[in-house]
Amino acid sequence: MFASYLIGLREGLEATLVVSVLVAFLVKSDRRDRLPLVWLGVIAAATLSIGFGALLTFTAAHLGHRQQELFDAVTSLLATVFVTWMIFWMRRAARSLSGELRAKLTDALRLGPVAVVVMAFLAVAREGLETALLFFASVQGATTSATPLIGISLGILTSIVIGWGLYKSALKINLTTFFTWTGLLLILVAAGIFKYGVHDLQEANILPGLSTQAFDISAVLPADSWWGALVSGMFNITPQPTVLETIAWVAYAVPTLVLFLRPPSSRRPTPTVSTTA
Amino acid sequence: MRNPIILAAAGLALATLSACSGEPQTATTAGASPAKDAKIAVAASDTACKVAVSEINAGTSTFAITNGGSKVTEFYVYAAGDRVMGEVENIVPGLTREVIIELPPGTYEAACKPGMVGKGIRNPLKVSGEHKPLSDDAQLAEATAGYKRYIKSQSDTLLVKTQEFVDAVKAGEIDKAKDLYPVARTYWERIEPVAEIFGDLDPAIDAREADLEEGQEWTGFHRIEKDLWIKKDVAGDGPIADKLMTDVKTIVQKANEAQLSPLQLANGAKELLDEVATGKITGEEDIWSHTDLWDFDANLQGSKAAVQALRPVLEERSPELVKTLDEKFALAEAALGAHQKGSGWKLHNELSKAELKELSDAINSLAEPISKLAAAVTA
Repeated sequence: MFASYLIGLREGLEATLVVSVLVAFLVKSDRRDRLPLVWLGVIAAATLSIGFGALLTFTAAHLGHRQQELFDAVTSLLATVFVTWMIFWMRRAARSLSGELRAKLTDALRLGPVAVVVMAFLAVAREGLETALLFFASVQGATTSATPLIGISLGILTSIVIGWGLYKSALKINLTTFFTWTGLLLILVAAGIFKYGVHDLQEANILPGLSTQAFDISAVLPADSWWGALVSGMFNITPQPTVLETIAWVAYAVPTLVLFLRPPSSRRPTPTVSTTA
Repeated sequence: MRNPIILAAAGLALATLSACSGEPQTATTAGASPAKDAKIAVAASDTACKVAVSEINAGTSTFAITNGGSKVTEFYVYAAGDRVMGEVENIVPGLTREVIIELPPGTYEAACKPGMVGKGIRNPLKVSGEHKPLSDDAQLAEATAGYKRYIKSQSDTLLVKTQEFVDAVKAGEIDKAKDLYPVARTYWERIEPVAEIFGDLDPAIDAREADLEEGQEWTGFHRIEKDLWIKKDVAGDGPIADKLMTDVKTIVQKANEAQLSPLQLANGAKELLDEVATGKITGEEDIWSHTDLWDFDANLQGSKAAVQALRPVLEERSPELVKTLDEKFALAEAALGAHQKGSGWKLHNELSKAELKELSDAINSLAEPISKLAAAVTA
């Protein structure tokens, strides 16, 4: 029961985290009109995942191992691109807000609608198929024991509650803090998604080195503990990453953090400051 | 404003879906698969991983893994070097999850990973019997089909141009026949490997005087070539011209009916380049007309066409080879391109020794990668 609860929690968190920050951002930046788009993306992804999962479960069709890994890998890599874009989009929008340049905000959000849908879609679709397959398996297994079904359902519900809590608390903090903290959070999330995408490419035998592990901290971060599930659900940090995954994580996280944390370049040209890069 | 958004979302959904079903054998119904009624049971627990059988038939098999333990487990089938052939993660205690895995003959390991960590509890798994991946067959079939379309297009024009040449010879129009001679041969030289499959016809069409055996009647292009350039009289060549046309017609018909194997494409591409090296560079092929560079160019194009037909297969099996071939073909074409003259080519006896050496080098550097073609196709 606990084991299936943790899986539901982990799979659910991977989706709700990005969605809740996205929603909080739209609400805080006074773009509530864009919220239906988020739900459109979420519903499209959920429908696609469930529909595809049902198709694979209840018909004779099946996805090859490679195809499933590739699906995960492609959605993960796309999600990385979009989440990264969102981080810097938020950062730019934040500057516009603090500079009282309301008109500029429209510019900053111009690319928004499509991106909002796609991002919400990717956040959910990424793990949706796997979760749907898992869910159907537990429904079928419910004839012998309902505990896995209940566990997974509770786990997913918990992740939604955590996501809602994140959203609520994000609304309370002031704008600058919101952008800084959610930005940092999302960079870690995106680094994790990127790492996960690389891992899937390794499992699809496209990239080598699946059995070359960088380190093993499964003793301190057991995969079947609640904290292990939480850490891997939020940041995709796994106890036994491969060398390539670790390189991918660092290669993404370090430059992105540096870019994100560098002081915003002044909007007015200031001759006293040396030429900016 | 909304429409493009919905379209974008729908487009993405479709794109991801079609990406999944891109390889036909995976998304098709498994009705043809016998695996449906013969699932392989795997009993997993915290300390054990019992696979019902240790030997299975090649092809697709369904593994049904039941987790009777207390930890979440995973199931993997590994090939040598821990290459993942198939896996299913997150098998919750009390659940049975299935995975369909396609396995060619060989030795594998089936593993459960209680707690989803470590190397897992492993079982040897032997897979035997015949297995032909559908996609490979389809790809190779498409390669030969593509090459056959090329043969068809070339041989259609070969008939037209040979007819014009034959007509000019029979009408005694020596200059016109001389102009048409290298042109008609171009189409012949592009498809020669296929023509050579029909052993007796090729010499009748393309034998050189020097290659004739004792008592063999000399017919075909080169007999007329000698009469055009040396004897400068084709008055008696009517029957020879008619026989050439008949032979070409027969061979075109046979070539278009022939079942080709991908190996024939690979070997044909190589034979054409060998032809260039042994016949065209030396000037032996068209010893009287000196129009060897027309044949050179045609051989090169024919060889390239065979490689292009095989390209999708090669890109999957030997991408490095494709890259090398592209480079070397480009170099050979550039070396030849320097000797273009009007819509045709310089005559062989107009080239210096150094220029011929350069052409020879370009062909030789192409011959090396092309000799690897057959192995790459059958790999």
